[in-house]
Amino acid sequence: MAGQNRRMNKPPGARCRSLIAAALLASLASLALTACGGGGGSSTPPTLGAGEKALDDATVYATGSHDALPAGTTTEAAAITKHSITLKGKALDYTATAGHLVTRDPLSNAPQASFFYVAYTADGASAATRPLTFFYNGGPGSASIWLHLGSFGPKRLATGEPSTSAAKPFPLVDNAETLLDTSDLVFIDAIGTGYSEAIAPNTNQSFWGVDKDAAAFRDFIVRYLAKNARHSSPTFLFGESYGTTRSGVLAHLMETAGVPLKGVVLQSSVMNYGSNCGVTGDDSMSCAGYFPSYGEVGAYYRLTLPAQPDPDSFAAQLRSFTHTSYEPAVSNWLAHHTPPASGLLAQLQDLTGISTALWKTHLNLDPSSFQVDLIPSVLIGRYDARVSAPKGSALAAEGDPSSTFISDEFARTMGGYLRNTLRYTNASTYITLSNAINSWDFRHDGVALPDAIPDLAAAMALNPALKVLSVSGYHDLATPFYQTEKDLARLGANPNIRIEVYNGGHMTYLDDDSRAQEKNDLRSFYQQALAQ
Amino acid sequence: MTMTIRSLTRGWPLALCMAMPCGAAAADAAAQVPMRDPWVPPAARQAASAASTHGAALNSQVERKLRSSFDAADADHDGSLTLAEARAGGFGMVAEHFERIDTRRSGRVSFEDVKRYLRGRGATTL
Repeated sequence: MAGQNRRMNKPPGARCRSLIAAALLASLASLALTACGGGGGSSTPPTLGAGEKALDDATVYATGSHDALPAGTTTEAAAITKHSITLKGKALDYTATAGHLVTRDPLSNAPQASFFYVAYTADGASAATRPLTFFYNGGPGSASIWLHLGSFGPKRLATGEPSTSAAKPFPLVDNAETLLDTSDLVFIDAIGTGYSEAIAPNTNQSFWGVDKDAAAFRDFIVRYLAKNARHSSPTFLFGESYGTTRSGVLAHLMETAGVPLKGVVLQSSVMNYGSNCGVTGDDSMSCAGYFPSYGEVGAYYRLTLPAQPDPDSFAAQLRSFTHTSYEPAVSNWLAHHTPPASGLLAQLQDLTGISTALWKTHLNLDPSSFQVDLIPSVLIGRYDARVSAPKGSALAAEGDPSSTFISDEFARTMGGYLRNTLRYTNASTYITLSNAINSWDFRHDGVALPDAIPDLAAAMALNPALKVLSVSGYHDLATPFYQTEKDLARLGANPNIRIEVYNGGHMTYLDDDSRAQEKNDLRSFYQQALAQ
Repeated sequence: MTMTIRSLTRGWPLALCMAMPCGAAAADAAAQVPMRDPWVPPAARQAASAASTHGAALNSQVERKLRSSFDAADADHDGSLTLAEARAGGFGMVAEHFERIDTRRSGRVSFEDVKRYLRGRGATTL
């Protein structure tokens, strides 16, 4: 089934153009758009130019746990399109490549999986010196759509978050903060997401585990470097959320394999699942790593006493207070049920806006309760706690207004963008979030939930020049910045590790000001990493 | 009151499961839902098992990882790697740097040789 009936000689764009040319009527033009599945695009795809190639991929991709492409049917075809973006008044011409690469087991050479990717490469750059960055979201089970369409690609969806007043559909705009001025960008979809699928006799489930998944990403990167003759390009990883866990494990595998990295960007980290109480759901575990985030969110809603207009200076106070006062109190509470002193309770209220009464009964306050309890009438977001919605409203129904507000728009935009702009057409639905998480093998290094700090440490031992940039949002209630700092502190004082925190949530890049700051920090991080 | 809220909110991923199909039987039905990363399904949750390592304990984890890569490539189990063993056994880092690690020009490198080389490059955890 898969791989058969390719219609390479009849790309849908060509079919649309001939329709329009024959009709020359506005009414028929709109009909043709519908027939082409216009989706997120607003115009008919332009005529292909020199060096461009549309791809109508007839393969049907599926993301169920037992799904696999039949062996021997996969190809490495891709759509190729040329684009240009103006950055600070200067045109940057680039090529977009959207298609598949087949990964092989490095020892047996057996085909493993067909990975879907979209690469943006600057035209006319030298492969030897031009950096190359591999991006992926997490989940596990998430396609890399959030980073691809939201962060530092050449186009981004303008969501307006933390406001929820932006009209839909969100515009897909040229991204003034794209990292393409600094590095080529490759967005990879994990196996069993997007259009990536295992090749039989493997199934998607074969790669739904911490170690198998990271090995598959290694094999993808190795294949990409070989296929595109990029062995000498300075290489970076950019993972988000579970993607940071993957980056730790993957960085170790890359360095072991002798394919060295220049840098790793950790976007909103969960390097150690065992240190995040909101992930383990373990009531006996301290949530103290969340406390500085509670304070920043309380300050955003002007519930702290005094008001805290400067997030950076307040963060310093919150880190210190958490370390010296709150963490020890939570430890005593969990170990001995020692009630907190009334002076401490008053401080907790002043620093967060959560009442002394609630702190008294729930000293080890978990982030889900904080979302509900901070303001009586509203639910605040998990990914971006600055986003809020009335309890019982549609935006609050899924437990995170910041996610619900944007999710449909990202999913809706992707299909049309692939078809009309990148000229990659496939009849399958692009799956932004598969069910992988429910059957994921979280075991790693003999423990039930992954701790990727030792992996990152091993990568940095194998390649002592490896640079790490950690970025977090003050208002993220999924991967709290202070816990990330504590996790990375396990690596000791290390000049190769840089930590930045911005206003915003899990996806700091959705905030217009923070995206610009993060871009500046990325640029200087790359410069430092490349200087060696 | 707060207990009710707590139990409700603690279970919100379960509430999500009630709002839409969850579990292996609903593989594709659960697609296109808002992302909940990071999240662990209840069945895979465990009490925080291992303490977060640092210092000497973390360094020994690093050494075990390197040792594991070394042993996996040591096809003849003689405690040393040839260039061919390193290349065929997946320890490409050793293969890429073999001549610089093999300071005795013996054609074989020991685990200690590898550690010494990495320390010389600036590794502080070995």
